[in-house]
Amino acid sequence: MTKMMYIEALRAALREEMRKDKNVFIMGEDVTRYGFGINRGLVDEFGSDRVRNTPISEAAIIGSAVGAALRGMRPIVEIMFVDFIMIGMDQIVNQAAKMSYLSNGELSVPMVIRAPEGTEWFGAGAQHSQTLHSIFMNIPGLKLVIPSDPYDAKGLLKSAIRDDNPVIFFEHKQLYTQKGEVPEEEYIIPLGKAAVKREGKDLTLVATSWMVKHSLEVAEDLKSKISIEVIDPRTLVPLDKDTIINSVKKTGRLLVVDESPVNGGVQGEIISVAMKEAFWNMESPPKRIGSLNTPIPFSSSLEKEVIPTKEKIKREIMSMFSE
Amino acid sequence: MQKIIFGRSFNFWEEKEKEIFEKSGVHIDKYPSFVAKMSSGLLKSLKKKLIKARRKRINMTVNKEQKIRMYRTMTRIRELENKLEQIYRDGKLNGHLHTSHGEEAIAVGVMEALSEKDIIFSNHRGHGHYLARGTSPKNIMAECYGKVTGTNQGRSGSMYLVDSERGMPVASGIVGGNICVATGSALASLIKQDNIVTLSIFGDGATNIGFFHEALNMAALWNLPIVYICENNQYGEATKREQHQKVKNISDRAIAYAMSGLTIDGTDVIKVYESVKQAVEKARRGGGPTLVECVAYRLRGHSAGDLAVYRPKGEEEEWMKIHDPIKKYKKQLLEQGVLNSQEVEKIEKKIQKEIKEAVRFAVESEAPLAETVGKYVYQED
Repeated sequence: MTKMMYIEALRAALREEMRKDKNVFIMGEDVTRYGFGINRGLVDEFGSDRVRNTPISEAAIIGSAVGAALRGMRPIVEIMFVDFIMIGMDQIVNQAAKMSYLSNGELSVPMVIRAPEGTEWFGAGAQHSQTLHSIFMNIPGLKLVIPSDPYDAKGLLKSAIRDDNPVIFFEHKQLYTQKGEVPEEEYIIPLGKAAVKREGKDLTLVATSWMVKHSLEVAEDLKSKISIEVIDPRTLVPLDKDTIINSVKKTGRLLVVDESPVNGGVQGEIISVAMKEAFWNMESPPKRIGSLNTPIPFSSSLEKEVIPTKEKIKREIMSMFSE
Repeated sequence: MQKIIFGRSFNFWEEKEKEIFEKSGVHIDKYPSFVAKMSSGLLKSLKKKLIKARRKRINMTVNKEQKIRMYRTMTRIRELENKLEQIYRDGKLNGHLHTSHGEEAIAVGVMEALSEKDIIFSNHRGHGHYLARGTSPKNIMAECYGKVTGTNQGRSGSMYLVDSERGMPVASGIVGGNICVATGSALASLIKQDNIVTLSIFGDGATNIGFFHEALNMAALWNLPIVYICENNQYGEATKREQHQKVKNISDRAIAYAMSGLTIDGTDVIKVYESVKQAVEKARRGGGPTLVECVAYRLRGHSAGDLAVYRPKGEEEEWMKIHDPIKKYKKQLLEQGVLNSQEVEKIEKKIQKEIKEAVRFAVESEAPLAETVGKYVYQED
C-alpha cells in the first residue's frame, strides 16, 4: 500500500491502461499542461497523439470520441468542468447512448468521459460548481461512475476504460487532493458493486462522492448515540441495489445524501429502489439531502446554504430518531 | 432559386498542382478571391492543366458497366422511395419518412467514389445512401415496417438505418448530429494510419449548427482523412436556404477553416463521382479534409405528408425540367449509346419487380418479439 492523492490515483490508472492498450488515448482541452493536473506528465510518456489537446469545442470533443470509439479506439475525454458537458449533450444522449441499441449490439462505443463536478473550496459560482450526474441517470445506454476515494478512483477508472459502453466518470473537485491507501499491485473494481464504507446497525446512510467523507465523519461523531452504516454505491448505473436494500432491511432507517439538487435527483431514485423491497422493515420514513433547488451562488455565506453540509446531515439524522 | 456556380473550387490544390500554378506566376494564397482576380483566359488554361495533372494521378474514368450500375441504383432509390411514399399515404407506415427525390445522383456518385473499407455517416434522409452502398431494399423496407428483418431489427424505422458490414454506422436523425462523430472516425484513421477515409453526409440546414463548425475546425487543424458532403437541397425543413443563411455558397464556409471547398452540380452523377473521388483520394494520401457542396433540389416536402405549400408556385416544375437527376442521366446514357430505350425499360421493369418483392418481404416478415425490447441497451445485454 502507498498513500496517494485522488488525482495521483487517477493518473496511475490512466498510465497503466495506456501502457496496456495502444487504443486508449486521452483528449480534451489543455490536457497536456493545464487544468486540474490529472494528466500531468502523460504527454511526455505517450506523446501528443495519445494525449491530445483539442480546441474549446465540447460537442466536437465528445462527438469525435464517439466516432473514434466506433472505430475500435478507447478514447478518454476530459471535460474541464462538468458544467461544460452540456455543450456536447446531443453527442452523449442522442449519439453515444443509442449506438449499441440502434445497431442490434453490432456497434459499441467504448469511451470514458471524465468530468469534475461539485463545489470548489473557494467558490466557483453557478456555471462551474454544478453536480449534474442525476440528469444522466435518466438516459438508458450510459454507465455512471462516481468514486469517493483514491482506491475506488483507480480501480473504477480502469474498469471504466475497459468497459465496452459509454461511461461518464464523475470526480468531485474537492476529492482531488484527498489522500488514501492504494495497493501497489494491479487491481480493478467492477462496475455495479457498492462499498460498505462503515458498518452499523441503526441507520443506513447512502452517500456519494464528496458526501461520503462528510457522512463518515458524521458517523464517527455520532457513534456513541447512533450506529450508522455508510454505503457508497460507487456506480449509479449499474446500481448495486442489493447492497442498499439488504442494509436498509437490517437498519430500518435510510438517509440518502448526494450533492445533486433534490428535485428529480438520484436521492429519490435510491429511496424508491430501497422502498420497493424494504418498505415493511422501516422504523421511520426515508429521508434525502441534496442541494437546494437554486443555482450555486458565489459568496460562501450563500453557497453553504445551498449544498449539503455535515451539520445538515447531523440535523437530519437526529430528526429521524426523535420522531 | 439558387444560382449554381458549377465547378467552383478553392484551396483544392495539392503539391503538384501548386507547382503548376506557381510556375504560371500566380500567387496561391488561402482565399478564393485570387481566382476572381485572375483573367478568365488564364484561369481556363490553368484549370485545364490542373485537371489533366489530376487525371493522371487518379483514375476517374467511368466504364460502361459502372455507368449502367449507377443508373440502376438511381432508379432503385427513386422506385423504393416512391413506393414508401405510397405506403405511407395509405397509412400503413408509422414514423417519419424523409425521401431524397431529386438528390439520387449525390448518393450514387458519392458511393461509387469510395473503396470498400471507407466509412460513411448518413442522416435521416438516408435510404439512398444505404441503397447506393449496397444495402438490400428488402432490409430497408422491412425496417420502415418495423420488422425484425429490418436493418436495425425494427429498432429504428426510416431515420437511423445501419449497415455496419458496409461501413455505415447508425445514421443521425439529429440535423448535423453525425458531423462530429464522423470526424472522430477520421481521427481514429489518423491514429491507426489505416488508409480509410470517412464521409459525413448532411444537408444545407446542418451547416448552421455548431457541430458543423466545431468539426470542420478540428478536421482542418488535424488534417483528418474526411470528406464532408453537403447535400444542398435548398431547403432546411420548410425554410428556403436564402432565409436561413446569408453565405452564397456553402463551400465558402470551408475558407474559414483553411479547408478545401467545392461547389458542384449535385444532379450530375458523373460530376459528383469525379469530384468526390478527387476529394477522397486527396484525403487518403494525407491531403486533408474537403467540404463538397452538392447542389440539388428537394423535389418533395421535408417529410412525407408535407405538401411544401411554402414553396413558390412553379419552382419545383421549373427545376424538374432541367435538373431531375435521373431524367438527365438517362438522356445522357441514351445519347452516348450506353443504353438503348429497350434496355432502359428492362432495367426499370426489373427494379419495379425488385421493390414489389421488397414490400412483400417486409409485410410477410415477423415483428420483433416483445421480450427482446431490453436487448442491446448495453453491450453485455
